[in-house]
Amino acid sequence: MSAPATAAPTTPSRGSAPPEPRRRRRNTYGWPARGFSVPAVLVVAVLLYLPFLWTTWISFTEYNGLGSPSWVGLDNYRAMFDDPNFATSLRNTLIWVVGSITVPVGLGLLIAVLSHGMRFGGWFRLPFLIPYAISGVAVGVVWRFVLQNGGGLSQALDALGLPGADLRWLSDAPLNTLVMIGASSWQQSGVNALLFVIGLQSIPREPIEAARLDGASGWRMFRHMHWPMLRPLTTVVVGLSLVASLKTFDIVWIMTKGGPGRNAETLAVTMYEETFVNSAYGAGSAVAVFLSVVTFLAAITYLRRQLSPERAV
Amino acid sequence: MTARILRPTILLVLGAIWLAPIYLLLVNASKAPAQYAADQVWKPISDFALFDNMREAWEIGGLGEAVTSTLLYSVIGPALAVLFGAAIGFAIVALRLRHGFFWFVLVFGGTVFPLQMILMPLFVGYVEAGIYDSRLGMIAIYTAVTVPFAALVMRNFLGGIAHQVFEAAVVDGASTWRIFWRIYLPMSTSALVAVFILQATFVWNDLLLGLALSQSNDVRPLMTAAAALQDTYGGLQLTAVLAGGLLVSLPTVVLFLSTQRIFSRGLNLGQF
Repeated sequence: MSAPATAAPTTPSRGSAPPEPRRRRRNTYGWPARGFSVPAVLVVAVLLYLPFLWTTWISFTEYNGLGSPSWVGLDNYRAMFDDPNFATSLRNTLIWVVGSITVPVGLGLLIAVLSHGMRFGGWFRLPFLIPYAISGVAVGVVWRFVLQNGGGLSQALDALGLPGADLRWLSDAPLNTLVMIGASSWQQSGVNALLFVIGLQSIPREPIEAARLDGASGWRMFRHMHWPMLRPLTTVVVGLSLVASLKTFDIVWIMTKGGPGRNAETLAVTMYEETFVNSAYGAGSAVAVFLSVVTFLAAITYLRRQLSPERAV
Repeated sequence: MTARILRPTILLVLGAIWLAPIYLLLVNASKAPAQYAADQVWKPISDFALFDNMREAWEIGGLGEAVTSTLLYSVIGPALAVLFGAAIGFAIVALRLRHGFFWFVLVFGGTVFPLQMILMPLFVGYVEAGIYDSRLGMIAIYTAVTVPFAALVMRNFLGGIAHQVFEAAVVDGASTWRIFWRIYLPMSTSALVAVFILQATFVWNDLLLGLALSQSNDVRPLMTAAAALQDTYGGLQLTAVLAGGLLVSLPTVVLFLSTQRIFSRGLNLGQF
């Protein structure tokens, strides 16, 4: 009771504003506050959390969309780990993760470093940004056209006298996954380059100048000055690529529908295939739960490793 | 020094490689079906048939109907999301919602799990509720998936408005609704617009939710329709498929180019 009374004189700088009776104000706006929160909480709870819980439950049942689900315990998970398609899908997803955190990030960094501080650097970067503005579906359409048997790429290789013109880019595994990572890198590198350019521009000039006076340049300058200072940004870019690559769906679906004999499927495609093509909802849900757990663990592990103080040098 | 020449050279070579698929897209989407030869895709065009091809994709591929639906989805969905996000932000920041942080984390947590996790129940639930393959259903889910990000940005942005603004309005006798509608929303126009643009692009480009929750031509969103173009090779020339791919990307390309200025302003601010 006495707290507000004694607090008032200690805050003279606030002028005529009365001391804030926090507890009472909460009571005053309790109902309006709840009212304003309801729409957001409601749509998220009903359309995101409820389905999430339902999927988790269905993954322990056998269910084809008709009748009612019957509890089968861990059977779906056991079947999933025994399924050769799942093994392929897991392998492809891993290739996607490794490919996506190296190629587009590496190329983005290369483009940023090469064009940074250069006259007309923005113009040099423009070709890399155009693919980013195009939708994922259109990227799939274009690259399927380029990579089909005897398509644009094969014709170019043939004309240049290079080998590889008769490769079946989108049919043979793991080649099809690798070229699709190429297509995805084509789209992603530009925006990564843009992020790295922002990072390079925000590096303070003084230490760079000092290093230059000490005779550092080229690779040594990059390795010991720019690279360490870009680390926080690299962490973010790699983290985003990691999470996005685990969920790869659009480009694979458009270009190959998962490939002949399901050989180009990623976990996200397998989940879609099981649920909406095979109507095996339990099996599809098990893949979805597995994917969610892996995504969650990967994100947490990565962030903890990157942000732990021992490594922050 | 060699670096003087080497740097632009590498960039130019890489840039040329990057533009090659764009060249193939533009050239072959512009060829008249009769002129198109599968074994000569690099050959430049002789006559310009881009608009005919686009019209064909538009009509046979049903892109026209899909554009109307998608326009509806990518305007209403994100608009509602921004509004809902601003409302809960207002409740937490200005009205000091009890356990506000918990509710915020709950809403934001909606983005954590992959979309794949919710597809099947949504499909089943939508069928049960009779909103499968309906525009209402599509708007609802697009709103839900865009709310978490909107809530994050709006809460942070509204947190920057001094609480005295709220107190002054209360002293003047304004209702909480009026304060939200007439003071807080107008003050946060820039954030509202930024979030709206980002989320509208996301909805415009969505393929997965469209595949799972819609079917008929007048509900199916644009990307789902465009993806289906690939499978209707029989009725559609490849040139029209490519023209369709180009056509559905135009709005995002225009948006991207017209928001470049906002983006570069953000770039400059980053230097301070």
